[in-house]
Amino acid sequence: MIISVKCFATLAKFQPKDSDGFELGDGTSVAGLIEVLGIDPAEVKIIFLNGKHRAPEAIIAPGDRVGLFPAVGGG
Amino acid sequence: MVPEREAFARRSEALALDARRPDGVAYRSLPEDGGAVLAREFGLALREVQARCLDAGIVPERYARNLTTHSLSEQARLLRSRVVVVGLGGLGGHVLEILCRMGVGRISAADGDLFEQSNLNRQLLSSSLTLERTKATAALERARLINPAVELLADGVFWDFEDMETVLAGADLAVDAMGGLDDRPALQRAAAGAGVPLVTAAIAGMSGYVATVLPGQVGPATLFGTGAAAEDSLGSPAPSVAVAASLQCAEALGILCGWAPTLAGKMLIFDLADMTFETMQIA
Repeated sequence: MIISVKCFATLAKFQPKDSDGFELGDGTSVAGLIEVLGIDPAEVKIIFLNGKHRAPEAIIAPGDRVGLFPAVGGG
Repeated sequence: MVPEREAFARRSEALALDARRPDGVAYRSLPEDGGAVLAREFGLALREVQARCLDAGIVPERYARNLTTHSLSEQARLLRSRVVVVGLGGLGGHVLEILCRMGVGRISAADGDLFEQSNLNRQLLSSSLTLERTKATAALERARLINPAVELLADGVFWDFEDMETVLAGADLAVDAMGGLDDRPALQRAAAGAGVPLVTAAIAGMSGYVATVLPGQVGPATLFGTGAAAEDSLGSPAPSVAVAASLQCAEALGILCGWAPTLAGKMLIFDLADMTFETMQIA
């Protein structure tokens, strides 16, 4: 399936080149996607699936938008 | 009308001038010196002078361009509000600047730091004049310069949970302008306990977020926990800090005016590297 992925801040370096047309196996969870991207799961503090905060176990569907956000506290 | 009110109305009308907005709409305008005269003659705080003039349909000229984003009664409401700002660094300096200029009447703020050279890239209150000096003193001087109507209490210490509880009692809104993750959960708890809406923000590199946490709601501080964060390696450049502070103020001013909070239970996440802004649901 094709999904879109956006990695913020320190996770930006893991963002795939084809971020709006990223190919991922059907039925993969967000945790699975994080592993595929090579990100340490402890670094991901907030997961957005189609604009809503979700748990890592959430299953991604074709066309979904996933956002991964690390701890951000600068001011 | 009580005699003192009547005398105030007569005197303020005498000091007001006819003015026109750029679109041609006429209004009565109170010049800066007129406000000072009224404050002196009637023994009132300048912010109350300005609010009473607005009640009577007279616009202090310094707020003329706030119209019609804020109505006269909303501007009076801002002048009669008290906002708590925790942190006077990158976010806090810009937040203080905007809230003072927009005419928030009372601000209680705190920061225990002194300015250092690495603050100069983004912190509005830092300059060659304020290096090695307390952020709180710089805030007091800046507020007095840009809007003498604002009553600013700037505390040169880091507030603990009990200090926050005390200062939040009776406040209308809190702004989280802290750096780092560690003290944010305490402010979120204290604001919830006081029943005060909290507008929070943070940045790292070109990314950042702004969120409103209503009492009892889950906020970003809950999700992030404490410890190291992305800004430790990505830094804190000026554009993201100023954008986040500006967004915080737009939300805060709306809430103070009684508008529905647009970011309650949400995070507005931005990335200035690709200019994307997206609002996400978290609560």
